[in-house]
Amino acid sequence: MDYSLGYYDVIVIGAGHAGCEAALASSRLGKKTAVFVINLDTLANMPCNPSIGGTSKGHLVREIDALGGEMAKNADKTFLQSKMLNMSKGPAVHSLRVQSDRRMYHIEMKKTMENQKNLDIYQAEIVKILVEDGKVIGVKTKIGANVYAKSIVVATGTYLKGKVIIGEVSYESGPDGVFPANDLSQNLLDIGVELRRFKTGTPARVNINTMDLSKMEEQFGDEKIVPFSFENEGNEEIKHKKQISCYLTYTNKDTHKIIMDNLDRSPIYTDNKEMKLKSTGPRYCPSIEDKVVRFHDKERHQLFIEPLGAKTSEMYIQGMSSSLPEEVQIQMYRTVPGLENAKMMRPAYAIEYDCIDSTNLKLSLEYKGIEGLFFAGQVNGSSGYEEAAAQGIMAGINAVRKIDNLEPLILDRSEAYIGVLIDDLVTKGTNEPYRMMTSRSEYRLMLRQDNADLRLTPKGHEIGLISDERYKKFLGKKELINREVERLKNTIIKPSVEVNQVLERYHSSPLSTGIKLSELLKRSELNYQNLVEIDKDRQELPDSVVEEAEIEIKYEGYIKLQLEQIEEFKKLENKKLTADIDYEQIKGLSLEARQKLNRQKPLSVGQASRISGVSPADISVLLIYLTQSK
Amino acid sequence: MLTHTIAAIATALSNSGISIIRISGKDSLNIINKIFKTSYKIEPNHIVYGKIMKDHEVLDHVLVSYFKSPKSYTGEDVCEINCHGGNEITKEILELVLESGAILAEPGEFSKRAFLNGKMDLSQAEAVINLINAKTKTESRIASKNMEGNLSKKVRELREELIELLAHIEVSVDYPEYDYDEVKNRNVIHLIDKKRDEINDILKTYEHGRIIKEGVNVAILGKPNVGKSSLLNKLANYNKAIVTDIPGTTRDIVEETINIDDIVFNISDTAGIRDTNDIIEKIGVEKSLSMLDEVDFVIYMLNAEEKIDKDDIEILSKIQNKGIKYITVINKMDKIKKSNFDAILNELKQIGVEETIEISIQEDRGIDKLKNAIVKIFHQNDFDFEHELIITNSRHKDLLKKALNYLEEARNEINNGQPIDIVSIYIKKVANTLGEIIGSNVSQDIIDKIFEKFCVGK
Repeated sequence: MDYSLGYYDVIVIGAGHAGCEAALASSRLGKKTAVFVINLDTLANMPCNPSIGGTSKGHLVREIDALGGEMAKNADKTFLQSKMLNMSKGPAVHSLRVQSDRRMYHIEMKKTMENQKNLDIYQAEIVKILVEDGKVIGVKTKIGANVYAKSIVVATGTYLKGKVIIGEVSYESGPDGVFPANDLSQNLLDIGVELRRFKTGTPARVNINTMDLSKMEEQFGDEKIVPFSFENEGNEEIKHKKQISCYLTYTNKDTHKIIMDNLDRSPIYTDNKEMKLKSTGPRYCPSIEDKVVRFHDKERHQLFIEPLGAKTSEMYIQGMSSSLPEEVQIQMYRTVPGLENAKMMRPAYAIEYDCIDSTNLKLSLEYKGIEGLFFAGQVNGSSGYEEAAAQGIMAGINAVRKIDNLEPLILDRSEAYIGVLIDDLVTKGTNEPYRMMTSRSEYRLMLRQDNADLRLTPKGHEIGLISDERYKKFLGKKELINREVERLKNTIIKPSVEVNQVLERYHSSPLSTGIKLSELLKRSELNYQNLVEIDKDRQELPDSVVEEAEIEIKYEGYIKLQLEQIEEFKKLENKKLTADIDYEQIKGLSLEARQKLNRQKPLSVGQASRISGVSPADISVLLIYLTQSK
Repeated sequence: MLTHTIAAIATALSNSGISIIRISGKDSLNIINKIFKTSYKIEPNHIVYGKIMKDHEVLDHVLVSYFKSPKSYTGEDVCEINCHGGNEITKEILELVLESGAILAEPGEFSKRAFLNGKMDLSQAEAVINLINAKTKTESRIASKNMEGNLSKKVRELREELIELLAHIEVSVDYPEYDYDEVKNRNVIHLIDKKRDEINDILKTYEHGRIIKEGVNVAILGKPNVGKSSLLNKLANYNKAIVTDIPGTTRDIVEETINIDDIVFNISDTAGIRDTNDIIEKIGVEKSLSMLDEVDFVIYMLNAEEKIDKDDIEILSKIQNKGIKYITVINKMDKIKKSNFDAILNELKQIGVEETIEISIQEDRGIDKLKNAIVKIFHQNDFDFEHELIITNSRHKDLLKKALNYLEEARNEINNGQPIDIVSIYIKKVANTLGEIIGSNVSQDIIDKIFEKFCVGK
C-alpha cells in the first residue's frame, strides 16, 4: 500500500560519502532533508581501502572542509595513522593521507548526522524517482512510501544493479555483502536518464594474527601529525595520537606464475564469452592480474598491508585487487613473504554497477532536462571516497540553491580540485571510473592542500556553511599570514660574522651587503626553520601561518607565473556561449565538434575547448564566430 | 556569420597582363550572371569566355571560372574573373561586382573563410601569407612545404619527448609510494639540452629563412657622386633614382628590390656623403653609420679618380667592427689614374681590406663580376630546401625563443635544487609554447595576430 511519508526540501538517495556530505550540506543550509540508505549500518562505509586522502584526494578533503563539509573532521576523529606524502617534492603536491578505523568512521559520521538539525535518516531502498512535467517531486520506497521533495540528490555509489564477481562465480550484490538496488535503474531509464556500466574491485581482507610481520617492512606514520580539518589546527590531542603501523611486502615470480596459470579463470582475461566482463574498469587501479599481464617485466609488485581498525584483526591488502577465483587467491597468498599462512577473511572481488554518463550533467551536477535531479559520487562515473564526498557537498549545496532560485555554486579549474573534478566529469566525460590526480590540475601550485581555506572558506561562509565564528578565526589567520609575509619582506639582514657563520653552516653564500629576509628565504638551501638564528625579531606563530608565509615567499615567482596562466584561462572561460547557438550551422567546425557541442551546450569557449573531440582548430572557429556575430 | 559574399582583386595591383577578381560566397554566381555575358554554359571547374557588361557597354573581354562549394579555395561558391590587367580596368570591374551585391573583402578574409570552412589548419593558413608574399622560387618552396605541415610535424616531434617526460614526472608525483624509476635530474637535464639544441637548430634557419623571405638588406655606401645610384640602377636594370653628375642629387633613400640568382636584395641608396660642406658631411657619415644597424650587407663604393679619406676609413672600419658582410667596389675604372688607384689599394690594405671589385658603370664593366661576388657570399649550398625545415615566420621564431627560455629556466630550477614538480611547470610551458606554433593551444591573441597579417587576395 502506498502512503505518504511526508514533505522535504531535499531528498538524498544513498548515504555513502557523497550522500552524507549532500545531506549534511542541505540540512545545515536550513533545508528539511531526508537521506535514504538500504542498510543504515553501511552509512559512510569504506568498502575498499580503509584510508582517506592521498595525492590530490587529500586536497579534495581539505577543500570539502574549507567549504564546511564533514569528511576531514570525521577523518580526524577516526584515524589510525597519518602521513603527509610527497614531502621531498614541492608544496603543491604535498598530500595528506590517513589510515582510518573503518567502523569508527561509520559510527562517528552516523552520530554527526543523527544529531544534525533538519536531517531525517531512513533505512529504505528507493525504487522510484517521481517526476512531473520534467521536474522531480519525490521518491518512492520499496515498501511503498511516497516522500516528496523539491530537489533530489542521487548518490547510489556502486549499488545500482550491483553484481559481485569472484572468478567463475557472480551474483547480485552491493559492496560488502549489502543488498544491491535493482529497481531504481529501470526507473532512471524510464525517466530518461542514460545508464552505462562500470566495474571496480577490491582486494582481500586477511587476519593479521596469521601473518609473519617480521618478513615485512613496517611503515610508520609521521612524527608530526597534521590534522585534516582546518578547524583542528593546533589540536594537541590529534598531534600526539598514538598511531598504528602498516606493512609492506612484495609479490614474486611464484605469485605471478600462479596468476598466469589461472588467467583463463579471470572474468577479465577469459576467452569464455559468457563469463567475460564487458564493463570498463579503471586503469589506475589495476587488479594484480592486470599488473602481471601488462607489466610482465616487473619481477615484483608492492603489497601494502593496512589495518581496518583498532579493534579488528582484519587487514586490507593494497595491491592485490583481483577477480580470480577464491582458491587461486589463497594460492597466491601462499607465495608472498609474511602471508604464507595468512587466513583470508573476505576474498577480493570485482563489482559491476550502473552509473550515468556524467556529460549529461550541468556543472551544478543537475541532470540536463530533469529539473531538481542532482547526481553525486560514484554513480557519476568517479571512484574514491573523496571524489564522492566532493561531489556530494556540491550537489547538496546546489540542490538547496535550486530551491532558493539562486545561481549554482560552480568552482572553476583555477579555484579548486573540486572544480577540476566536476569540470572533467561534466565537460570531458570519462570512460572509466574517474580518479582525481594532481596532474589533472593545470594550476596545482595555486591549488595546494595548505591553502584550501584561503581559497574556499570565504565562499563557504558566503553560502552559509561556514559559521561566523569560524570565519572570524579564518580572517585572523589570514591577517597573521599577511603580516608575517610583510615582515619578512621588510626585514633587512646586515652582513656580520655571526650571520655568515649561520649561512655557511647551511652551505649558503655569505652576505657582503644587507639583504631582505624574504630574499634569503628564497634560497633553496634555506627555510623558515633554519633562519631562526638570523631572524631575531621573530614571534611565535602557528605552524599553519608559518607554512603559508614561507610558501608565499619561497614560491613567489612560480605563483606569479600561475596567476598569469589563470588570467589567460579566465579569458576563454569568460567568453560565454549561449544555449541557443546551433553548432550545426557553423560550417568550419568538424562534424564531431558540431555534434558534441550541440549535445553538451558548453557555457563558455573555455569549457568547449575541454570537450573531447573539440580540437583547437574548432575553438579558433568558435572564437571567430563569436567575433563575427557580435 | 559568413553570410555575405565578398570580392577583391586577387592579384597584385600592377600593370601586369592579367588581373584576377575573386568573388566568394553564396551570391557569387548570381553576381556573375548579372554582369557577365557569355554564349557558354557556366559549369563548376570550367573556364568560359565572355564579356563584362556595364550599362549595356562592354567593359572588358574576360575569362570566368566557377568553383562550386565545397570544392573551392574558401569552401564556398567562388567565381574568378580573369580580366585584362591595368589598375583602371580591374578596379572598374571590381566596383561593378561590389555594386552587384558583393562586399569588399577585408585583408585576409579569403584565407580566413578557408580556415573557417575547414579547408586549412592554422600553420597552413600562416604559410599562405608567406606564399602570397613569396618573392622567389626558394621562398615559395619553403612556404608550400610549411603548408604541407613540415613545421607541424617537426614541432610535434619536439613535443613528444617532453610530454613523455612530463608523464614520467606526474607519475612520481601522483604515486609517490610506488617503486617506479624516479625521474633523475641528470636525465631531465640531458633531455633539456637535447631539446635546446634541436630548437636552436631550427632557430638558426630563421636568419636564413628571413633572408630568403624578406631578402638581404643591402646598403650602397660611399661618398657623393661615387656612382651609388648608377650602380643601383645597373643592378636593377632600369633607371629609378635620379642620376646626374651633380653631387647630392639622390635626395633621399631609394629602395629597390632585385633578384639575383634567386636571392632577393633590398638595396637602399643613401644620400651621398658630401665633401663640400662640413656640416652636411657630418650628417652623411652619421647617416651611413646609423644605417649599418639595419643592413645585412654593404656595398662600399670608392672612386678610382679620388683619394680615399678619413670618412671612408671610418665607415669601413665600422662595417668591419660590426661584422657585417661587405664588398668594396672601386668605380670609374675608365677614368683610372694608376698612382691614385695604387694609393687606394694601399690604404685599404692597411685596414685589412684585401679584396676589391673594380668596375666601370659608365662602360658597363665588372658588373657581372660584382653580381657573382655578391651571390657567392649569400648562396648557401648547405641547405637542402626539399628536406630541411626553414622557419620564416617571426611568430614561430618568437615562440621557439620563448620555449628556449623556459627550457633554460627549467634547467636553472634543477640546478637551484627545486623539486621536480616545480621544474615540470617550466617543462609544461615549453610544451605549451611549442603547441602554440601548431595551434594546439588556444589564445584569441594568436588568431587576431595571424589574421591581421593576411593580405587581400588569398
